[in-house]
Amino acid sequence: MSEPVLNEDQRDALQEVANLAMGQAATRLARLLDTFIELSVPRVQVVEISKAAAALREMTGIQESVSAVRQGFRSDIKGEALVICRSGSIEQLCGLVNDPYPRSAYEKVSQQEVIFDVANVLTGACVSCILEQLGRTPVFSAPGLLGESMSLDDVFQPGVLAWEVALLVEVNFALEDQSFRAHLVMLMAEESIRHMNDALDALLSSL
Amino acid sequence: MNVPPASLSDLVVERVGFGIFVLDREMKVLMWNRFMQDHSGLSAEQVVGKSIFASFPELPRVWLTRKLESVFQLGSFAFSSWEQRPYLFKFDHDRPITGGVDFMQQDCTFMPLTREREVVAVCVTISDVTHVSIVQREREEAVAKLQEYADRDGLTGIANRRFFEARLRDEYTRWQRYGGDMSVLLFDLDHFKKINDQFGHGVGDTVLREMAQRVAQVVRVQDTFGRFGGEEFALLLPCTPLEDAMLVAEKIRHTIGDAPVDVQGVSVPVTASVGGAAARVGVPNYDVLINEADAALYSAKRQGRNRSVAFI
Repeated sequence: MSEPVLNEDQRDALQEVANLAMGQAATRLARLLDTFIELSVPRVQVVEISKAAAALREMTGIQESVSAVRQGFRSDIKGEALVICRSGSIEQLCGLVNDPYPRSAYEKVSQQEVIFDVANVLTGACVSCILEQLGRTPVFSAPGLLGESMSLDDVFQPGVLAWEVALLVEVNFALEDQSFRAHLVMLMAEESIRHMNDALDALLSSL
Repeated sequence: MNVPPASLSDLVVERVGFGIFVLDREMKVLMWNRFMQDHSGLSAEQVVGKSIFASFPELPRVWLTRKLESVFQLGSFAFSSWEQRPYLFKFDHDRPITGGVDFMQQDCTFMPLTREREVVAVCVTISDVTHVSIVQREREEAVAKLQEYADRDGLTGIANRRFFEARLRDEYTRWQRYGGDMSVLLFDLDHFKKINDQFGHGVGDTVLREMAQRVAQVVRVQDTFGRFGGEEFALLLPCTPLEDAMLVAEKIRHTIGDAPVDVQGVSVPVTASVGGAAARVGVPNYDVLINEADAALYSAKRQGRNRSVAFI
């Protein structure tokens, strides 16, 4: 087994950073969406990309097909964020924002646009907050649909992704009285994990 | 008083090939680049300092306000793609003749501009993606055309066997699920080999085309008429009992046989034999249905051709 990608202190620091960030993201989302969205305690895990689907299946308990929206984020720490939910629950995902464009019946909004908007808002809030804690201001790329009905294995095609090890940060969102859950996964490649280590070390030494 | 020289970044923003403008939280325009000026016809002097809706009342107000607000509140990006919303501004594009799209297709990005972690304004960029949208539409049209060719028989233009069987399979599944009636006719031009031998393959092909055309004109829209191979054709008749299908069989036989085909001044008499079969309890799959129609067709041939026979 090679050198662990994050040492114990770094892992703890990242967990703490992620916790703080999610608190911040939840506040911002609540203000924007006028709905309280529960954000789970984020789970941080370093996995080989070939085991990412299995790890995610275990984290989320999802066996059936999923819909996934991907979005890139970039600073010296860069990666991809995925918003994943069960294929059948896209409508509930859109329901996270009750009537996203109130009083705008005359301004037609397609469901796909709402999906991208919701995914973008969730990703933007969480990823920005985590990277802000690390002193980074990321640039985002536009969201794109990975698929509407795909297996988790197809979300992480080892042959397609350019890296072997990934840092998974999993958060799930739930509306208070609904069983629906959406999951956000941040994937970062080895080089970004190194930059993440530096950022965490800097944070630790500043304490 | 000396005007300070523009910085390099100012010059870039002015000349760059996409729209850049900046809005504050009250939707007031703070900056407006040359691209926006050239395409909107409104200069920075006319637009800056006023609400964007004062200059462009046709903009989707609720949508745009909401986008901006999400950027101010979350401090992260927002996007709009031409695929969901073709354009924000009604700008002309530079493909007026070959384009076929009404306005410049636009991808928009909403970026937070932050000072001390506070979002002070939002920068909006507008990319002209008209060419992308045109290429994509052309590709979609090409795929649709290919799809259609893939379903057609090259010689006669009617459905090919692959498409016919796919339709038959779907219809058979529907019948299994909901019951009712469905029938299949198989027919074959009599002594077609002799026509080919006597008049040549060119004439044979013309006969096939002419017959396909004649029959296509008498079948109902809900029926699927296909070339099964060689001189053999098939007709799928949804919601049709065998008795009615055999009336159709006779109609087809007359359509083919009543008038000879004129090819290059030669009158070629053609007749056809038809076999029919209907789905019924105990027919396990659509292959069996085809086999039964084929057996009926064989029987029509044996009984002397130019007749229709039902499988019973």
